[in-house]
Amino acid sequence: MAKTYDYLFKLLLIGDSGVGKTCLLFRFSEDAFNTTFISTIGIDFKIRTIELDGKKIKLQIWDTAGQERFRTITTAYYRGAMGIMLVYDITNEKSFDNIKNWIRNIEEHASSDVERMILGNKCDMNEKRQVSKEKGEKLAIDYGIKFLETSAKSSINVEEAFFTLARDIMTKLNRKMNDNSSSGAGGPVKITENRSKKSSFFRCTLL
Amino acid sequence: MEPAAPPAAAPAPPAAAPGSAGLVCAQGRNLRAVLCQRCGSRVLLPGAATFARRELLLPAMRKKAAAAAAGGGGDVLREHWLVRDMFSFENVGFTRDVGNVKFLVCADCEAGPIGWHCLDDKDSFYVALERVAHE
Repeated sequence: MAKTYDYLFKLLLIGDSGVGKTCLLFRFSEDAFNTTFISTIGIDFKIRTIELDGKKIKLQIWDTAGQERFRTITTAYYRGAMGIMLVYDITNEKSFDNIKNWIRNIEEHASSDVERMILGNKCDMNEKRQVSKEKGEKLAIDYGIKFLETSAKSSINVEEAFFTLARDIMTKLNRKMNDNSSSGAGGPVKITENRSKKSSFFRCTLL
Repeated sequence: MEPAAPPAAAPAPPAAAPGSAGLVCAQGRNLRAVLCQRCGSRVLLPGAATFARRELLLPAMRKKAAAAAAGGGGDVLREHWLVRDMFSFENVGFTRDVGNVKFLVCADCEAGPIGWHCLDDKDSFYVALERVAHE
């Protein structure tokens, strides 16, 4: 059967445990079904289909599934990733401070041209806030990364976040394709991931 | 919109059983979109899968308390939508590995398992007719 989509993007969710990465993958968090069986095994990844500018985009979104606890997020996990959501919890300062470490981890292990975005999650819990929105914005500006405050629980900015990241990846791909337009013009859209990785013998230790 | 009438005179693919009656087109594909029974999330578009028979054991779909009361367990299901390319799904979740199997769940509310995928066969994804709704 012919392909029924225009783009396929692999996205990762990165951040400390407990910041609500998994909840960002729900559409109806309050309403999660949560059978014994499924909550015990855990979800590996989800496929979601979105439409942007008339293009059908398949997102394959990976959750670290607790690996971050063991600080074992390495090259294998990042392989092929085109976009990364860096998630912290606005009620947990430590998780915000660690964003810098996660960025370093990405720089060491992921493709150098991966699109990134910072999300300050749980913004519905303003009364417990430890990290101001300005602080989040400042960090994002320092790294030249986009930023949104989200609430998976109240469905604030979650879809916007995924659409924004997908759009940035698409823009980058199109720009690359135009740059390379001399070779093989007019053919079917082929998505080749940039495999260039920084080779490093150092394993990043976090925290 | 009214669903299209099933092709009554079509050469029925392997004997359309009660569960699949009216859901399979003449080419053996799903006539209707496949949705989550619980939240209506769109799992497959019409025509994205073919009807297939195979005995597969899927763990029970009950919620925690109910499952405990019933002692867990599962169901052997025989009628499935067979999908050949993972990215033919509109929205779906994959569990982590259980042996060499991954189970499929609703991407939006995580109701499931609604389907089954064996890592030994990279091009086969089964969605049980009994565990989904049809538009």
